[in-house]
Amino acid sequence: MHEFSLASEVLKIAQREAEKNMVRSVSEITIEVGNISGVEVETLKSALGLISEGSILENACLNIVSIKGRGICLNCELEFEMNQRIDTCPKCNSFPSEIRGGNEFRVVSLLTEEE
Amino acid sequence: MCETCGCDNDGFKIHDPQHIHDHNHSHGDEHHHPDDHSHQRVINLNLDILSGNNLTAAMNRRFLEGRKALCLNMVSSPGSGKTTILEKTINHLIASRKLYVIEGDQQSLIDTDRIANTGATALQINTGSGCHLDAQMIESALNKLEIESNSVLFIENVGNLVCPALFDLGEYKRVIVISVTEGEDKPLKYPYIFESSHLCLVNKSDLLPYVDFRTEQLIKNARVVNPDLEFISLSAKTGEGMQFWYEWILRQVDLATITDRSFDKKKLSGI
Repeated sequence: MHEFSLASEVLKIAQREAEKNMVRSVSEITIEVGNISGVEVETLKSALGLISEGSILENACLNIVSIKGRGICLNCELEFEMNQRIDTCPKCNSFPSEIRGGNEFRVVSLLTEEE
Repeated sequence: MCETCGCDNDGFKIHDPQHIHDHNHSHGDEHHHPDDHSHQRVINLNLDILSGNNLTAAMNRRFLEGRKALCLNMVSSPGSGKTTILEKTINHLIASRKLYVIEGDQQSLIDTDRIANTGATALQINTGSGCHLDAQMIESALNKLEIESNSVLFIENVGNLVCPALFDLGEYKRVIVISVTEGEDKPLKYPYIFESSHLCLVNKSDLLPYVDFRTEQLIKNARVVNPDLEFISLSAKTGEGMQFWYEWILRQVDLATITDRSFDKKKLSGI
């Protein structure tokens, strides 16, 4: 359940940026989550829903962009899609692979309302 | 999109920080926006959500480096024997150097009391509902501990194979403890914690005759996610294999305290 800590980091970032940019509310927040980043999206959504009450994110839409995991096989150099961190190369079944995508966990942007 | 006239129908208008509102009306409309017209603006961030934790962790790491203190973050599931390993380790090392332990548990002072009996300086962090320690908690613990130079700091993380994996605390090395009663498939079920660790202690080796646990299979599974992981099989109860763990710690003390930064300095001064 580390998603609650992660959600509070998201809220901190939104509050800090809103203050810095002198905006009165956030109407949308876009977050990128890689599918092998170790972050559970549904839990993150629930956590954000709970902790955003009464905050700058209270009325914001949550836009989650899922990033596919990609690995390069270190043995045969095949680039392949990874759905789990432990996926092995589909061609030669070897491991480990070099992770080229899917570890992302970022606040991409805020859509804000101002006077 | 401007909701009054729909003039930017390509989607959300991205304004620059000075907020120059350029509608580009080409149709010569005479319409007026209402006075309370609110403007939307996109603030692009591309900011790692763990960047706050990672920055504090980096500061903790440099602080400990400055004190020439070795910091090891011990992670495991509950009941793998972290505290017993630490008790034995402290008894072995306490004569030669100052030792500190930061204990992370949801509740109670049980582990701190056990560690305090060994003579090491112990500090308990109760995370309450939290399932892991984070870099800010360690930062405030470091402020209280007054770490002496040439010491060793053990962080006993909350017993959990999921959450502590994502949180860098500023440790020099991460040590995962697994006991032979837990099953050799753990690295495949909890890959992140094994991927982020440097050493795997396979504890309770005295129970190997009684359980279906093959150490070679555990090593094979762990190397799927972390080919560089080192392994030491030991029993904190009988003392078997503990010598290899003590020797590993002393090697880390050497590695952590001889960091040569002269190359960085040369680069910075342009030599």
